[in-house]
Amino acid sequence: MITREPDYFEPPLNPFGQFGRKILLNCRGAGRALLLLGEAILLARYVFSRRNRHETLYQMFVTGIKSLGVITVVGMFTGMILALQTGLELRRFGQEVNIGTAVTVSLVREMGPFMTALIIAASVGSAIAAQLGTMVVSDEIAALEVMSINPVRMLVMPRLVALAVMMPILTVYTNVIGVVGGALVGWTQLGVSMRAYFDNAIQYVENKDLYVGLFKSFVFGIVINTVACHQGFAASEGAVGVGQATRRTVIISFLTILVLGYMITRFFYV
Amino acid sequence: MSLIRFEQVSKTLGGRPVLRGLNLTIEKGETFVLLGASGSGKSVTLKHMVRLLTPDQGRVWIGEDCVSEARGRELERIRRRFGYLFQNAALLQWMTVEENVALPLLEKTTMAEAEALAEARRRLAVLGLEDAAQKYPADLSGGMQKRVGLARAIVMNPEIILYDEPTSGLDPVTSRTIDRLIEDLRQRLGVTSVVVTHDLHSALAIATRIGVIHEGRIVEIAPPKEFVRSRHPIVQDFLEAQYITRRGAWEETKSS
Repeated sequence: MITREPDYFEPPLNPFGQFGRKILLNCRGAGRALLLLGEAILLARYVFSRRNRHETLYQMFVTGIKSLGVITVVGMFTGMILALQTGLELRRFGQEVNIGTAVTVSLVREMGPFMTALIIAASVGSAIAAQLGTMVVSDEIAALEVMSINPVRMLVMPRLVALAVMMPILTVYTNVIGVVGGALVGWTQLGVSMRAYFDNAIQYVENKDLYVGLFKSFVFGIVINTVACHQGFAASEGAVGVGQATRRTVIISFLTILVLGYMITRFFYV
Repeated sequence: MSLIRFEQVSKTLGGRPVLRGLNLTIEKGETFVLLGASGSGKSVTLKHMVRLLTPDQGRVWIGEDCVSEARGRELERIRRRFGYLFQNAALLQWMTVEENVALPLLEKTTMAEAEALAEARRRLAVLGLEDAAQKYPADLSGGMQKRVGLARAIVMNPEIILYDEPTSGLDPVTSRTIDRLIEDLRQRLGVTSVVVTHDLHSALAIATRIGVIHEGRIVEIAPPKEFVRSRHPIVQDFLEAQYITRRGAWEETKSS
């Protein structure tokens, strides 16, 4: 059942009790989020059913097409900053032609998935938490449960599939835009021709870089959806509770993305 | 055998005991109205019937099924016997009115979409909402949203319908329309209704029995005619607060 009774605890006797309770509640929250993810994965077999298909496509549109504007600007400037920072240093050694490699490898391995995930967590993740949180506090989720309609199947699973599919696609787009942004800076600020930049960029990027980067973005998509849906469903106490759920979604998503990004890099490259 | 049965149900919410060993029996085909002051546990009682809340102690039975211990498919089967009108209607805001009403038909039957929407429009027309079918809930008044919620609650022809404040926020004419609909469902289809309300006039008009909940216990249960003659102080307070006196003013109001 998604609809839960509000938690109530007696005030703790001392700060240690308060700290211990916070840890236990966070562990319980993590466990519930993983159970929610597990249920959504099991229900993913219904993704092509009549009503879920439409909802999943709509969520793909919201995640993908509606985020393109901000992703274009962020991707472009990420590439431009990377090119400018590395290019200025490399020019001291007469190696500015290598900015193609520096920009492309940084983007494909790390910055592309990371920047895309941050944008999607802040825009789509927070929106999911706010929507589900509002549904909880206005009894809409309870109404679905009374009608024996599974909210996980109707709301969580389509968003999970949409984010897991769209995140790698958006990451490829961020990478391409970032590399183009780097090329523009190289050409206009550092005197590196487009041809030299792209030759250099392609020469040193391995397939593994691309696969690992896309795997990261796939994992980040799942993380964002799981955190947002769990926090939304855990919302209580009206508008204040929805605001808190949204804030926690962004914070927890950012932290999890950072930690998992490091762990995936370490697993594949060390 | 009774259709709904509460056995010594206790529930504490937010550190405050809301239900204290509540016993209640509702028979099939009844319209049972639950009265009580705000915060007395009326909505909490209703939520126990569909396991939106679980008792801390005691059991809730729906026929031969113990809903307070049911899980998974069994709980789903029990819940299918119910329609539930929430206090704030609880309509899905991103769906149109007709899509909201058709939702249970589309999710729980094999009905085609066009057929389900046509059925939804038919139900809406009964409640005078045929012009609102294509609108979104946010475009409707609170009273209209409540009527849409009612249309959704009855669209699957449930055996039991739970109404949480069905007439609050509605004008008197619409309130009486809702009363007539509840009465019609009982007489025509034998639907069992449990109504939580503050509207005593409505309660006296539709109830087969009225129960009063106070401090988590049922303190009085009686058919309407006996209810207005009750000597219980809580009942007296209710009657006087709504200008219904024991001397028979209610009968005079009804007959005029």
